Amino acid sequence: MDLTKEQKIRLYTNLVRVRKLDETMVKALLTGKISTFFHSGEGQEAVGVGACSFLREDDYLFPSHRGHAISKTLIKGLPARIILAEHYGRITGCCDGVSGFHTCDMKLGIPGMSGTLGGHFPLAVGMGLAAQLRGKKQVVMVIEGEGTYARGTFHESMIMAATWKLPNLFIVENNQIMGNTPVKIIHPKDDFADLGFGYGVPAKVVDGQDVFAVHKEVQTAIDRARADEGPSLIECKTYRIQPHAVGLPDTLLGRPRTQEEIEVWRKRDPIKLAQKRLLKEGVLTQVDIEKIDGGAANEMEEADRLAWADPMPTDPKEILKKALYAE
Amino acid sequence: MLTKEQKMKLYTNLVRVRKLDEIMVKGVLSGKVCGHWSSQKGQEAVGVGATTFLRKDDYIFFCHRGHGITTVIPKGISPRAFIAEHFSKNSGACQGMGCLHVADMEYGAPGLSGSLGGDFVLAAGMGIAAKMRAKGQVVVCIQGDGTYGRGTFHEAALMAANWKLPIVWGVENNQYMVFTPTSDIFPKENMADLAFGYGMPGVVVDGQDVVAVFEAFQTAIERARAGEGPSLIECKTYRIEPHTYGMVDKRCAGLRSPEEIEPWVKKDPVNLFQERLLKEGVLTQADVDRIDREAIEEMEEAERFATESPAPDPQILKQVLYWK
Amino acid sequence: MREVRFIQAINEALLEEMKRDETVFIFGECVRGGTFPHTNGLFEKFGKDRVLDTSISENAIAGAAVGAALAGYRPIAELMFSDFFLIAGDEICNKAAKWRFTHGMKLKMPIVYMASTGGYIRSDSEHSQSVESLIMHTPGLRIAIPTTPYDAKGLLKTAIRDDDPVVYLYHKLLLTKKGEIPDEEYTIPFGLADVKKEGKDVTVVAVGFMVDLSLGVANKLQERGISVEVIDPRTLEPFDIDTIVTSVKKTKRVVIVDEDTLRCGVTGEIGMQIMEKAFDYLDAPIQRVAAANCPIPAGWYLEEHVLPQPPDIAAAILKVLGKDMDISDMKKEKVGFDAVKAFGDLGITKVKQN
Repeated sequence: MDLTKEQKIRLYTNLVRVRKLDETMVKALLTGKISTFFHSGEGQEAVGVGACSFLREDDYLFPSHRGHAISKTLIKGLPARIILAEHYGRITGCCDGVSGFHTCDMKLGIPGMSGTLGGHFPLAVGMGLAAQLRGKKQVVMVIEGEGTYARGTFHESMIMAATWKLPNLFIVENNQIMGNTPVKIIHPKDDFADLGFGYGVPAKVVDGQDVFAVHKEVQTAIDRARADEGPSLIECKTYRIQPHAVGLPDTLLGRPRTQEEIEVWRKRDPIKLAQKRLLKEGVLTQVDIEKIDGGAANEMEEADRLAWADPMPTDPKEILKKALYAE
Repeated sequence: MLTKEQKMKLYTNLVRVRKLDEIMVKGVLSGKVCGHWSSQKGQEAVGVGATTFLRKDDYIFFCHRGHGITTVIPKGISPRAFIAEHFSKNSGACQGMGCLHVADMEYGAPGLSGSLGGDFVLAAGMGIAAKMRAKGQVVVCIQGDGTYGRGTFHEAALMAANWKLPIVWGVENNQYMVFTPTSDIFPKENMADLAFGYGMPGVVVDGQDVVAVFEAFQTAIERARAGEGPSLIECKTYRIEPHTYGMVDKRCAGLRSPEEIEPWVKKDPVNLFQERLLKEGVLTQADVDRIDREAIEEMEEAERFATESPAPDPQILKQVLYWK
Repeated sequence: MREVRFIQAINEALLEEMKRDETVFIFGECVRGGTFPHTNGLFEKFGKDRVLDTSISENAIAGAAVGAALAGYRPIAELMFSDFFLIAGDEICNKAAKWRFTHGMKLKMPIVYMASTGGYIRSDSEHSQSVESLIMHTPGLRIAIPTTPYDAKGLLKTAIRDDDPVVYLYHKLLLTKKGEIPDEEYTIPFGLADVKKEGKDVTVVAVGFMVDLSLGVANKLQERGISVEVIDPRTLEPFDIDTIVTSVKKTKRVVIVDEDTLRCGVTGEIGMQIMEKAFDYLDAPIQRVAAANCPIPAGWYLEEHVLPQPPDIAAAILKVLGKDMDISDMKKEKVGFDAVKAFGDLGITKVKQN
């Protein structure tokens, strides 16, 4: 099914919003407003935006740590102010400021973020089982970095999801670098999607810089899942522009990363690609583009201002008293 | 092509393992076996075919079924040490401490994981060691179908494929995971299909045919010794006996039907190979009787040795934790 | 003697031992150069056969270490964060720790499991834990936690040469700490506690990074006439109770400080061992300072309420002494882990500042 003009504009707008929020968070880190770290997702926005822009609110989403999940959570409906407030330790954050960056909002179907990579897979299968039992055609989407797909939890979860035909989507955001290691030296094959064959799960490789291509493949998989036809595996090829975390030495295998490689990928920036296409198709004009840009910038500036002004908890110890058990 | 002697050896090992299985059943009934016995009857061709012609310095990992008899006995561990270990005697392979966890590094048998799937990652490590040592050693890791559901397989398979480690992964698919049919818990017919994702060869072989098993492993082993990396071999077989000896023979919540078992009893690997060798003229009926008798004598003698051996000295527990 | 940083001391131990014994190799996620740069330079020196980058597969890393050890090598498995020991629980606590026993004491298990440990970095509940209680609780695992560059190097060399599995934990906040080490070769035997500061009024037994916090408190209390003895056990298994008992006989008062959770933590074990061996010498009940019974929060204002702080240590010391004193100058540990600064200081990698 072809995208409507509105849907295309929505995808483009979401790309820009995510980029602006990423920039806001980098700035917040460098000015000390974020006290720990930020793993920028610059250049990888098309994966999350393409996959999540048209999810239902009651669908479940497990996002990867890259970009602290903003290309997924912001798109799923979590306001930027709440994301920022959580990073700033404010009580208005989605987890009362307790989580640092582990975004969670069950009303939006975002159950949280695992501190150990690969922790999401079995949890997602459990939610897939719940969705299947509930029978409301919800889907469960897991988007993880390629490095994470090496975890044994993936194997165990795929077997379960495939055997029971659960409405799960496994999306590989392959940015080609795991920490400081190029993924090609730790993975035996070119495509992670090849792993799907062993489980009898349909698997596709898609250009992760092309938001429309990502959306198309993911939508096919979502439709399959909603039709009770079981899980799918989609590998999106993208590239990590920034270091593992902002401010960390940008090294590969102990040596500085070459700028040439980064430049090649900067030329395939997902926003530029989408912009070019929509201008050519006449969906957007230069004026529209500036308007979208300005709107997103305003949204993030205001979110930042409000979040920073939000209150800190007056009595941290009260929060900790409630930390362990529901009652 | 197998020589006449090699065929005789494969057959003899099949019979030896079968007789040892029978001795172990008797050991359970007489209360001598410490713990339980998971009979591997009817599945012998897998381990025997895979390990009979391994080098002494090759490494093996085996599944819990049969507590390793189809691999450790062909590899060289004595039935004496095997039975004595199960009787928890100090003459056992592990001084009576391990019972079903039979190990002897002299024969490249490092032990049995208590948690299923624990062996995959250890095998990867031994593969790293074998590759570093560069003496052409291989690691043969045979696990049950249920165990291949563990994430440790995925991690170990990635590691082995990426570093081209000399490992052969064997699936002894007996179609049951305790009471659950494997088809209920695995999404595809062939587990060998998993190999594709890691870029290693994956083949399916008749697990009742000891020669077919041998040939498949031989190809994979030669590949591994040549530094070309791991392979996955799925051997289709069937569990004749209940999960452990004496247990109710269930399938899911109900009972397993004799009709289901019957066709597989007809495909008994010892009988199949015997018929073939008699037909080929490799064996005469006199040879068959002799091999049978010798195997019974060997196992009965080993059983007597184990029975007469003393129990371990409890003082041993004072020095169990560290090497020094 | 020369001055080096903690991380360089680790690096030297790895370098020297890999050179000394070619069966020693190291593997894990990003060991050619990564999250903590203590493995930098090894790849250039020993090549890809002995410095191996793995995928994110803690089970395989920890388990392959057992396999390689069984096959006659001395693997060093780098797990990055001690929290990940829980992922590899089967391989570390069931295989490495127990297989020698299960299989009749004939197997050697010369493995080093190393990882960063501890909090005060405002990370999260799965990157800030201390796991010493869990490890000390498991029979069959040795555990070394160095607190100075001297100890870091000497203990790691001993760990690599040990024929049993050793868990070696380096605290994230100690990585840039400076200290003197001798030019010549040395090792530090396991099971030998180190008196980091002599004193006569009270014995503080501190584990890992808590040694630094306790020394800070001890120095401040010294100015107001309280003489604190600070003991660093260095290894929790084997554990040197004798040095502690000797100290208790002198001071008659004990405070035990650990960063792991208080409940069922090593402070309880150490305290009980003192009760069993030196009860008659105690003039006051033992005091413990450890993390609250709560996961470690990532939010930046909460961590200090969970992890032990200098004022907590000072208060415990005053309590065993029965004294009341103004300790408002004792500051909470809020430094955080500034990776940019830490790695920049090391001069190991060129830092790109945005």
